[in-house]
Amino acid sequence: MERALYVAKTGLEGQSFRLAAISNNIANANTYGFKSGRAEFEDLMYQNVRQPGAQATQNEENTLPSGLQLGTGTKAIGVQKIFTQGNAMITNNQLDVMIQGKGFLRALDQNGNVLYTRDGSLQVNQNGDLVTSSGYLIDPNINIPQNVTEVTISSDGQVSGKQPGNIAPTVLGQLELSTFINPAGLESVGQNFYKETLASGTPQDKNPETDEAGSILQGSLEASNVNTVEQLVSMIEAQRTYEMNSKVVSAADGMMKYLNNNV
Amino acid sequence: MDRMLYIAMSGAKEVALSQANNANNLANANTDGFKQDFNEFRAMHVEGPGWNSRAYALDERSGTDFTPGPIKVTGRDLDVVTKENGFFAVRAPDGSEALTRSASLHITPQGDLVDTKGDPILNEGGSPVNIPPAKSVAIGSDGTISFLPADSKTNIMVTLDQLRLVEPDIKNLQKGLDGYVRNTGANLDQANIKVTSGALESSNVNTVEALTNMIELSRKYEMQIKMMSTSKAHAQKSDSLLSLN
Repeated sequence: MERALYVAKTGLEGQSFRLAAISNNIANANTYGFKSGRAEFEDLMYQNVRQPGAQATQNEENTLPSGLQLGTGTKAIGVQKIFTQGNAMITNNQLDVMIQGKGFLRALDQNGNVLYTRDGSLQVNQNGDLVTSSGYLIDPNINIPQNVTEVTISSDGQVSGKQPGNIAPTVLGQLELSTFINPAGLESVGQNFYKETLASGTPQDKNPETDEAGSILQGSLEASNVNTVEQLVSMIEAQRTYEMNSKVVSAADGMMKYLNNNV
Repeated sequence: MDRMLYIAMSGAKEVALSQANNANNLANANTDGFKQDFNEFRAMHVEGPGWNSRAYALDERSGTDFTPGPIKVTGRDLDVVTKENGFFAVRAPDGSEALTRSASLHITPQGDLVDTKGDPILNEGGSPVNIPPAKSVAIGSDGTISFLPADSKTNIMVTLDQLRLVEPDIKNLQKGLDGYVRNTGANLDQANIKVTSGALESSNVNTVEALTNMIELSRKYEMQIKMMSTSKAHAQKSDSLLSLN
């Protein structure tokens, strides 16, 4: 069967994979704390159809200088997350926090698994505990009593609030951040959360403003870092490359059709 | 049986191989750092007694096109690309030194600096680069790697290492069966090459050329098939020469 057909198939698959990654970025262009992903490719193995140096004729000096190695197409390696800082969106909401640096907020899901997020739109649940927008408890737990007015979150993550009758604000807890040596290795599990993997390295828990964790900015959220112009350009590129590869499919098909009809 | 059938058959077969090579170039039109392969035909005469009338076609990958592809700006610190005729060195899985003009680097949990395939990029001394825990990593215009230590209280970057940069003679470069480009000439010394970070080199496949090539190969294939059917007609005619009706 026609080799070119299979090679072009890998091209088509690669480009549709790329388009899926691009459409996910564009879909999340307005998701707080979202990090854009880039599809990465490598060329597949080459096959030796003719060994360089093989005898071309009976004469010993007559060897093939270059031979024939045929590539077998392209392969998507994966989607690499790009962890550049997104822009600050000022919301003036007291429980919105933005991380300026490499840290992640920790949250616990319903089974107690640790999840990491850059999305700092925090809220309180029915018990007054600080939760993420999907309702997962922030770790370590911070409780905000009902009579507290004016919650202040300092740049080093200290949460304090004013209670009636007290002049000085009461310290309610301390936000902690986790950093990873290779954030691109984190597994995205949806809902703006990431999970630790072998590739990400182990989380280093630390207070904000220590090492590379970054500081906390109250009253703002981190916008997604998707560069929409770049995504649209990539989309055009992916679409056109897809079309070219489908042309190769029809060319290979045409060659076989011609052979079948004429011999 | 007319011998031309075999000549035409070899033509068709080699054109199909060339079409596969062309398809591989197009399939990698979006693979960053990919270099397109040339493909050419050669006439192979059949030597022997009698009239030298038969020349079979032979398709060859005569080399790889090392012209730089377009540069695309990504803004990511660890995307690097070299200028002029420079190359970075990475350690291929078989332990040899492979060359690349552009790499999207990342740092493993152990602190090793690797490319997307997970191959370590080499420093000036030809060994892998390891980066201590850092707030940020930057690659300078001469391949210098500097980093801001994670426990640093200041903004002073610490110089760590320099990437291996070489300027091989393009004629000595060969793409292996694993897709890695290697230098076949003498050992290369560190060269003074400009490095740009925050950009990648995209594939150098000339898509217009590849599509035109594809059309040409399709038509050449059809010509060979036409010759095959001509030879079929010849054979039919000569078979019917002595028929009685």
